[in-house]
Amino acid sequence: MSAKPAIVTIDHFRMDFGNETIIKDLSFDIKRGETFGLLGANGSGKTTISRALLGIYQPTAGNLRIDGKEYTVDSGIKLGYLPEERGLYKKESVMTVMTYFGQLKGMTKYDAQKWSTSYLERVGLADKSKTRLDKLSGGQQQKIQLGVTIMNDPELLILDEPTKGFDPINRRLLMNIIEEHQQAGATVIFVTHQMEEVERLCDRIILLKNGEASAYGSIASVKKKFNGASLDDIFVTIYGDDTKESEE
Amino acid sequence: MHNLKTVFTFEVVRTLKKKTFWITAFSFPVVMTLVFAVIFFSNQATEQASIDTKNQKFSLAITDDAKIINPALISQLNAQTVSSKADGIEQVRTGKIDAYFFYPNNISEQKVEVYAKDVGLFDNNRYQGTAEALITQSAISNVDSQTLAILQKQVAYSSVTYKNGAEYDGFKQLIAPGLFLVLFYILIAMFGSQMLTSTTEEKENRVIEMILTTIKAKTLIIGKILSLIVLSLIQIIAIMIPILLIYLQFGSQLSLPNIDLTNIPLDPLRISIGAAIFASSFMLFTGLLVTLGAAMPTAKEASGFFGLVMMFIFGPLYAFSLFISAPQSPIVTFLSYFPLTAPIPLMLRNAVGNLSVPEAVIGITVLSVSAIIVLAIAIRLFKYGALEYSKRLSLKSLFTGKKNTPR
Repeated sequence: MSAKPAIVTIDHFRMDFGNETIIKDLSFDIKRGETFGLLGANGSGKTTISRALLGIYQPTAGNLRIDGKEYTVDSGIKLGYLPEERGLYKKESVMTVMTYFGQLKGMTKYDAQKWSTSYLERVGLADKSKTRLDKLSGGQQQKIQLGVTIMNDPELLILDEPTKGFDPINRRLLMNIIEEHQQAGATVIFVTHQMEEVERLCDRIILLKNGEASAYGSIASVKKKFNGASLDDIFVTIYGDDTKESEE
Repeated sequence: MHNLKTVFTFEVVRTLKKKTFWITAFSFPVVMTLVFAVIFFSNQATEQASIDTKNQKFSLAITDDAKIINPALISQLNAQTVSSKADGIEQVRTGKIDAYFFYPNNISEQKVEVYAKDVGLFDNNRYQGTAEALITQSAISNVDSQTLAILQKQVAYSSVTYKNGAEYDGFKQLIAPGLFLVLFYILIAMFGSQMLTSTTEEKENRVIEMILTTIKAKTLIIGKILSLIVLSLIQIIAIMIPILLIYLQFGSQLSLPNIDLTNIPLDPLRISIGAAIFASSFMLFTGLLVTLGAAMPTAKEASGFFGLVMMFIFGPLYAFSLFISAPQSPIVTFLSYFPLTAPIPLMLRNAVGNLSVPEAVIGITVLSVSAIIVLAIAIRLFKYGALEYSKRLSLKSLFTGKKNTPR
């Protein structure tokens, strides 16, 4: 795994919000084709890293690069991004929204519609293509959101808290999709605090606490560092004090 | 370029699919049609009532102390003449006759008195109508046709004015360049609200992060503005076609001014200046409304600022007469060059012909530069204020470089 070239490099990244430092001099990389877990408790800076990586936030210091350059929409990277704050154009039909995003991602209208039809059939929503998004159930909307994320066959998939709010059916669908993209050679960044899924899917992880890396490496090496404990236990070990504080 | 076309097409098509767009577009001509229909049928009903009234027969007695009523007309009405006013009134009171008119000695100082049997609130008008008709017809029968035309204000006039040695019609001259002012007013009044809320949808629907990682904020904003311009023009056409059809079909029956469209002067310079002021003004205010929308977390909050923007745009209309009578006054100069108030003064002064070319160039430059600055701010606001889902983006944070806020 380590022989593979890095697709994402984060070098001495620092992020301040006003007087508060969220990320302190963080450096790590993500190899092409691996599934990487960006882990941490709520407020640990996970989402900040993905937003800074994608140019939504300007880093206070350091460099965040994808394929050797700062990400812009013109970078030529086929990106699939499922943000933590998610939503779509609710007043439009499913097919209209999917076609729009497909076209924005470089697909022709025909290809976007063809892909969308196929995806909707796969997820059991073929009869909903002309339905407005706000007329769909929450679970159905999640499926559409997921479809929009992966519809350009991304080489880099960034999923920020992907299972947040997902019902078990959609969670399984998501896992299947991640596995398919893994097999197709895509790089997947999994931003989460759900350790069970991380253990199942990820090759390497980084655990963040107070803007710094508490652990970084393959799952086996991280476990070894914590005397063979499970990821759940490691998480509790690292963040236990924080959890206790927040409970108090 | 590909994404600009995609955004533009998406925004235009989805708006055209909305019922509210067409309801707004057609409500104006529909309301106008209804108003015209009411006027038309009201006129017809009044005319018919007048005919009915004329045809109504009633018994009448007259006392003509002024000796002003033509006896032939009295005969035509089968009216009787009575010498005593008291007698005439008594005949009406006792129901022997329906009406009695008393014309006093001097009708320029004394009232003509009408006494009649009650036939209802509206039908009672026929008595005074007849008394008036008698006196008018009697006067007409005593004057020649030219005097009659003068008295009835039916004399036609034609006037020709000259400017720089050539014929010049000030009113007709202002029609073509003045159309830009009307167009601007209609577009801002009808589309302003949509411009204001066009960028809040991405925030409210939490779709902003997916958008910003897929296309440039600049592409999205420009695509939206271009779509708004095209949609505005479509709506104008949708409004104008029914109005034009109504005018062509019913214009003669609605007593509308008859304007010979082929005779409207087309001054290329003033029309070009009008078009340039219109285009730069429209871009400035579209940008301004989009900027406000980008700074606000929700459409509701953005709408709160709509009135403020409208005040700046249309407030100068209150100084309408000043722009015509004192175009060189300091207040007019200020309003003409201050970007937020400039559109109306510049378009109005250009229409009436007191805006010089250098003044127009300065005004257009001010508007264009302001439009570019405002659009740049709109893009920056949208890009960096995008994740402010729940609060307004402060200008301080925008310009001091503190673009990111903790979440």
